[in-house]
Amino acid sequence: MVLPLKLLFQLSVRNIFRHKRRNGMLLAAIVVAVGAVVCTSSLIRGFQYDMADAAVANLTGHVKILAPGYLDDPNIGKSFELAETWRPDVADEELAGWAARVRVPAVIMSERGTRGVQFVGIDPAQEHISFIGSVAVEGEHLADASDGRILVGRALAEQLETGAGRRLVIITQGHDGLNRESGFRIAGLYDAEGTGLEKMFVFTGVDTLQKMVGADVYTEISIRLRRDPVLFQLKASLVEFFTGLDVLNWQELEPQAAAMFVFADSAFFIWYFIMMGALVFGLVNTLVTSVMERVRELGMLRALGMRSRGVVAQVVLESSVLMLIGVAIGIATGWLAVLSMGDGIDLTQWAEGIEAFGMRGKLVPVPLADDIVLIGLMSVVLGVVASLYPALRIVRIKPLEALRR
Amino acid sequence: MAEAAVAAGGRGARAGRPLLPAVAWRNLWRNGRRTWLTAGGIAFTVFLIVFSMSFQRGAYVQMIDNATALLSGHLQIQNRHYVEDKRVEQTVADVSRLVNRLEGQPGVESVAPRVEAFALVSAGERAFGAQVLGVDPERERRTVRFFDRVAEGRMIEGMTDAVVGEVLASNLGIGVGGEIVLLGTGKEGGVAALALDVVGVFRTGIPDLDRAMVAAPLAMVRDAFGLGDEAHTLVVRSAEVTESARLERQLDDWLPAPLIARNWDEVMPDIRQGIEIDRIGGYFVYGLIAIVVIFSVVNSFIMTVFERTREFGMLRAIGMRPGRIVLMVQIEAAFVWVLGAAIGLALALPIVLWLQVYGFYLGDEVASMVESMYVPARLHTRMTPVALGLAPAVMLVGTQIAALIPSLKIRRLQPVTALRAEE
Repeated sequence: MVLPLKLLFQLSVRNIFRHKRRNGMLLAAIVVAVGAVVCTSSLIRGFQYDMADAAVANLTGHVKILAPGYLDDPNIGKSFELAETWRPDVADEELAGWAARVRVPAVIMSERGTRGVQFVGIDPAQEHISFIGSVAVEGEHLADASDGRILVGRALAEQLETGAGRRLVIITQGHDGLNRESGFRIAGLYDAEGTGLEKMFVFTGVDTLQKMVGADVYTEISIRLRRDPVLFQLKASLVEFFTGLDVLNWQELEPQAAAMFVFADSAFFIWYFIMMGALVFGLVNTLVTSVMERVRELGMLRALGMRSRGVVAQVVLESSVLMLIGVAIGIATGWLAVLSMGDGIDLTQWAEGIEAFGMRGKLVPVPLADDIVLIGLMSVVLGVVASLYPALRIVRIKPLEALRR
Repeated sequence: MAEAAVAAGGRGARAGRPLLPAVAWRNLWRNGRRTWLTAGGIAFTVFLIVFSMSFQRGAYVQMIDNATALLSGHLQIQNRHYVEDKRVEQTVADVSRLVNRLEGQPGVESVAPRVEAFALVSAGERAFGAQVLGVDPERERRTVRFFDRVAEGRMIEGMTDAVVGEVLASNLGIGVGGEIVLLGTGKEGGVAALALDVVGVFRTGIPDLDRAMVAAPLAMVRDAFGLGDEAHTLVVRSAEVTESARLERQLDDWLPAPLIARNWDEVMPDIRQGIEIDRIGGYFVYGLIAIVVIFSVVNSFIMTVFERTREFGMLRAIGMRPGRIVLMVQIEAAFVWVLGAAIGLALALPIVLWLQVYGFYLGDEVASMVESMYVPARLHTRMTPVALGLAPAVMLVGTQIAALIPSLKIRRLQPVTALRAEE
């Protein structure tokens, strides 16, 4: 006797409803497990993307072109010239933007204090690809590439006890190796959410800085893409174009962030399997009971000619249906939890502690469709695997024995 | 079956054992598979939480130890105004007397006075801004391990010696044997200038230190910046880092007016916050795992109680009070918990204790990732009463509640209808 699938399905569903309390409780466990995984995995993704984004926005870009040796010894001697007409060889729809900069170590002084900083010459029109293009500025932002004023981080300004409109003196090494000293007026103070960036970078127009160091050169080109996949192809074309220069991608420039990015991927799977490990004991327990109390009933079906395969199919189907319902409600619950977090969990209370992990003040959950589908599929597979043990156990009992129980 | 259980209980009672626990214990083995699966879930939770909590505790202790031992010490004594606004004139006065008196304080192991200033450090044509520390090498060695990090060359000995951070040295294009000039602003606003010989290069793994710090003899830096018997920070080492919070309060009461003692967690809020957020995240995860497992324990007891409706009806019919039956089920739950917790601990303890002694290597990638948070590459777990006891305690409460949910039904049981229930 081969039961049609539809009948098998009906049997499974009815069996589930025979024990509402028990299966309801099992369902609750599945919902909590799946919901927790969906919710936390989107937080893990949120952390991962925020961190990568911060690393890329931190004047890094997806790909960066540098003079050889600049990373070990950043100074204006390690620079290169760039033709006015140069554009990255990337299709417009792939390219988020690019920026050519001069970045040199410098000492900045007010009448109140002295600090060491990175002095960066930028073209503000190109900087929508980095954090400085989107920060809030008290006072004015730089107007263009020939702006002769400077943009200073709020935290640095506090240390130097200065403010917008005031003057600071900056000393840096010129292209000829001699130190140059020059006074600058502060256009505005930028607010990088209290991160270390505020103390690290001081900005001015790129033309201004080139004039100060006395050479029409750049120290870096930073390129940002819309998506990662074109990265390798782009890097190859750049290596060819900029012979003799270093072409590096963000993983090479920010190895700590790249390692953390990979680690977050495994954290997702570790967390999933721990949660499902916790669930599996209860799942098997319930399935075994539900099968064993039907020993007589299943024995009868087999005595009437149902194949062992049919019995196994029925048990597996029952478990899968339970799992499917649980997964559906679980995903919905997880999704609601993600929605309830709105625009993120405020972590500014721990701002200094999380900065070491490359995170910013807010943890915004990023639910990925791929992850959720994967969680759903793996959970249903788990349901099938968990039901194999009780199913195979029951077909090992001979129909006659089963009927006598 | 029920008769057997009661009879068994009776025998147990005759042998001098309390009746209910004996019956409960036998009941567990009427469905051994279920008992083992339920206990397995509890064991899984206990194992996982005990292991990860010991792991976290170990990491925290080593983080705090590394972070305090590197440079900043267990406690710092500073002028209150210097904490708010790091100006060179906001000093601790009369340092030599204060250091001597401090060392007489109970709980203080050693004290190292430091002058801190910002200066332009130049070598040849290159110049970078950096933090300058004026240190007493003898006292520093007793207080922190900073000088162990001198990777190249040696520690400060002579009066014109200086050690510089690895990145700063390479940015300046110098190594051991090089000469540097420090230029800063002195206490009275005059120029502070100092020429030093680089005798060592240190590598701490902390970007701020490696990139922008120079250490030189205390007397030289004081002289250059126009300071007398003064310092900006007195770094204090207590006997144990766990003692430092208590010592902070003790010193705060004792110190004269503008001076305050600051515990390491105020000096390095990033470490405290990092630990806090990791701890919160941990409890969140453990809570979820415990909830999922407790649900399945509830389920297991729903099934047990349901299957035994007839049996309970009969026990009621022969005169057992419902409270006793509920108690019996609670004892069964306690036994399942004992099994689960024992297995979980039996699995976790050897691993945790082994790793507490020998530690394990995190791997280069992870190590480089956490280096700046002072987490060592070789981690040792740490068994604490909380790490050991929390998970079993939570699961005990959880299993008791789990068993109570279905067994409350027993109170409403009508013996006659119960006896008619299908088996």
